[in-house]
Amino acid sequence: MSQFAVEACQLVKKFPARPGTGDKPLEGEPASSQRKRRRLFGKKEPKAMFTAVNGVDLQIQYGEIFGLLGPNGAGKSTTIRMLCTLLEPTSGTAHINGYDIVKQANDVRRSLGTVLAGERSIYWKLTGRENLEYFAALYHIPPAIAKKRVDELIERMELKDRANELVEKYSTGMRQRVAIAKALLARPPILLLDEPTLGLDPQAARNLRELIAQLKQEGHTILLTTHYMEEADQLSDRIGIIDAGKIIALDTPEGLKRRIDRKEIIRLEVSGWQDYIGEKLRAMREVESLVARRQNESDLWEVNLQATDSRVVLPKLMESISQNGTRLVNMNIVKPSLEDVFIHLTGKALRD
Amino acid sequence: MQLTTLSQPSLTTHLRALFVIARKDWKVFWRYPLNALSSVFQPIIWITPVYFMGKAFSTNGQAAGFAAYSGTGDYMSYILLGTVLTNFIMTVFWGMGYALKNDMDSGVLESNWLTPIPRLLILVGRTLTSILTTTITSATMLILAGLLFGFRPTGSTFAAILTAVPMLVGLYGFGFAFAGVVLLMREANTLVDVGSFLVQGFSGTNFPVQSLPYWLIPISLMLPLTYGLDAVRGFLLKTNTLLPIPAEIAILLFSMFVMLWIGAQVFHRVERRVRTLGTLGQH
Amino acid sequence: METTFIPRSLGQPGLLSDVRAFLAVVRREWIIFTRYPSWIIALFIWPLIFPMMYILTARALSGPDGSGLAVFIATTGATDYIGYIIVGTTVWMWQNIVLWDVGFALRNEQMRGTLESNWLTPTWRFSYLLGQTGPQIVTMAMFIGVTALEFGLLFGIRLNGSPWMLGLMMLAAIPAIYGLGFAFASLVITVKEANAFVFLIRGMVMIFCGITFPVAILPAWMQTFAKWLPQTYLIHGMRAAAFAKAGVKELLPDLIPLLSFGAFWLAVGYFTFLWMERRARKSGAIGQY
Ligand SMILES: Nc1ncnc2c1ncn2[C@@H]1O[C@H](COP(=O)(O)OP(=O)(O)OP(=O)(O)O)[C@@H](O)[C@H]1O
Ligand SMILES: [Mg+2]
Repeated sequence: MSQFAVEACQLVKKFPARPGTGDKPLEGEPASSQRKRRRLFGKKEPKAMFTAVNGVDLQIQYGEIFGLLGPNGAGKSTTIRMLCTLLEPTSGTAHINGYDIVKQANDVRRSLGTVLAGERSIYWKLTGRENLEYFAALYHIPPAIAKKRVDELIERMELKDRANELVEKYSTGMRQRVAIAKALLARPPILLLDEPTLGLDPQAARNLRELIAQLKQEGHTILLTTHYMEEADQLSDRIGIIDAGKIIALDTPEGLKRRIDRKEIIRLEVSGWQDYIGEKLRAMREVESLVARRQNESDLWEVNLQATDSRVVLPKLMESISQNGTRLVNMNIVKPSLEDVFIHLTGKALRD
Repeated sequence: MQLTTLSQPSLTTHLRALFVIARKDWKVFWRYPLNALSSVFQPIIWITPVYFMGKAFSTNGQAAGFAAYSGTGDYMSYILLGTVLTNFIMTVFWGMGYALKNDMDSGVLESNWLTPIPRLLILVGRTLTSILTTTITSATMLILAGLLFGFRPTGSTFAAILTAVPMLVGLYGFGFAFAGVVLLMREANTLVDVGSFLVQGFSGTNFPVQSLPYWLIPISLMLPLTYGLDAVRGFLLKTNTLLPIPAEIAILLFSMFVMLWIGAQVFHRVERRVRTLGTLGQH
Repeated sequence: METTFIPRSLGQPGLLSDVRAFLAVVRREWIIFTRYPSWIIALFIWPLIFPMMYILTARALSGPDGSGLAVFIATTGATDYIGYIIVGTTVWMWQNIVLWDVGFALRNEQMRGTLESNWLTPTWRFSYLLGQTGPQIVTMAMFIGVTALEFGLLFGIRLNGSPWMLGLMMLAAIPAIYGLGFAFASLVITVKEANAFVFLIRGMVMIFCGITFPVAILPAWMQTFAKWLPQTYLIHGMRAAAFAKAGVKELLPDLIPLLSFGAFWLAVGYFTFLWMERRARKSGAIGQY
């Protein structure tokens, strides 16, 4: 028995590379070993493998909220899928509530409530209540308890007025609440939430974050993935930053931010940005990293610059920007946020 | 400054548009070779039970009962010919409706219709490729089925094909009307299933309509298709025809014009109605 | 960490819980099924349409003077070609519908996105497939009932054997027909383009099993092949039970192979399912569509 709610040790997941998706075989390692094994069985040419999760270690305490933060395709969902027994790891082990995710899959499923990304995890052609009653039976909850529990969750998720309507008539937010109620049905000690606020409006997202905080109060251990910085920052006791299948930093939000305490973050809004300006600035010794991204289709660019000494950088910056139709619209020197930590670690922005 | 549009409608631009539509469909068709294979083999599979059933009704390879109705004991040639013609009938009948439905579902209908090409021309364009592919698959099927079951035409192929043309052209009229119905109802499957059954049952694709229960025969006689199938068989297999062949051809020619006219009318009415309702882009 | 109070799960493992989960699957399937009654039209149309083409052709083959029919009666021993054909086409439609309904049960859930939700629960996974079978058998019974009704009313077809024997034959066919469906359902999840298999299987039934003719009329090699298809025995036995007054004893030569095939196909269905489950867990195919 481990004392951790979730413990993963060197989890690796490889998929056959799908042509045309840009999944490149990582680090060329699979080739030799795979080829030998396949040859033994006289099989066809080895397939190129793509490593989605590449040696993830996690140790999550009971009662903790752990945030897994990373850009698209980092391997967050794949990690969650392995932990909730939908996927078998290529190598490595993990334990949930002390149970092995491969050998004791059913015990793991009993200990978990999972909300996968996307809103299609419930039956649109059943009502909210029917969905919950159905899944209660599948989670092996005895009928008498199930009935009470379903009522309780419907009340709590504010679905009461419309619990007897078909899910297809619900809004995205309501569907998400049903999906969460479904995960809570068996009152599992551990919750896995994959991008729970995806697609919700700001108000709904805020409510959901409140709920997550409450669930922690009630003793649930929560592992959530997100690519919203503020969310991870606000909710998590600890955060793991994952990129290209690897956890590249793991600490409390404060701890992470402290890492770049002495850096200065300059945030600019620029119109008519040119790539060569970035090249020029990056070449400066005082500039640690620079990320420019276009703001939704407009000609406005948001530039994030981390520098060791802004007094040296600023004059040079102004000079290169006010040339050739490039114009500075707005500039701030800001306190480091988690996003800046991310940029510092990976040299790229979290969201493109 | 006045902009002059680059679009200059003429006969050639229309023909080119037709050609472009057909070529696109042609490419799409060959991207799914399994479909082509299936349209060769499905009909063969479906008539195999008929072949063996016919044997159970025959003595020494002669289906005497069948011959008494149709004038030929060679029921397989009779049915194979019916199957090939059915392939073409279905292509024209439902091809346009299906194409419309596909475009509706994939959301390209509106962009197609924004072009200045007449809608009916677009619809016809969609069938050109299917006519060609149906010819290819039907010929393949006929060769294979001929090897398996035997196909023995005794009469004039040329006259038979010539007779089939006004029948198919007339069917376009029906196809237009059906496309209109699809536009209005946004559903095709049930209509096609039931419609195909009625057509196959009453126009005699698999059997002489003379053998239908007497109270159903009038329905058959009201379908121009019945005469088309009958005349083609009369030429090719020297079967007994319902009416003298020239009379049947006259009926076909007459009905061709009537059906084209009615079909185009129905389609235009529906299209205008859909435009008022604004339901084109929805699905 | 302050308090580490760990909530206790409400789930109670056990056989009873698994039975309840299975019933929940049946109930869910039934609710969705009755909520969208568009199938009613199909239920009344198809039993009539599909056999019709063969029946009308048979009518033409009979000839105006019934000379063809006399040959048919002599070769088949049947008295009534309509009933003879309906038995065959009904079996074909049964297998066909099972292949689409049960065969695509998991695939449809996969496309709806609900398969993973089910897979997350600690329920015995084969129940998802078994549970969908319950309502399917009920609708199939309705389908066969409608067929009998329509042809009884419109064509005056009468059973002259025992309905119990007919029912027995169909009951005995359930393992084989649904076992095939299970195997197929699992295949569809991992092998895309599995539709081709439906066409293959139903094509084989159509060609070899004698849906409109006695198998004895086939060339020898085809007869040998037909012996390997359970539907052959089902059609033969149902005809004997319905129109030749066969009792259990006469039906045994059909019942025994049918049940043996049933055991075989159920096993194949179950193991294909296990294989698929493992494979999908490795490749992540469950979540894709
Ligand atoms: N079943 C699969 N087969 C092949 N490749 C897969 C499969 N599932 C995921 N991948 C690949 O693995 C990588 C990681 O995907 P994953 O879904 O874990 O990312 P993520 O961090 O959840 O990203 P997002 O923010 O987009 O949800 C991606 O490149 C994805 O294409
Ligand atoms: Mg994800």
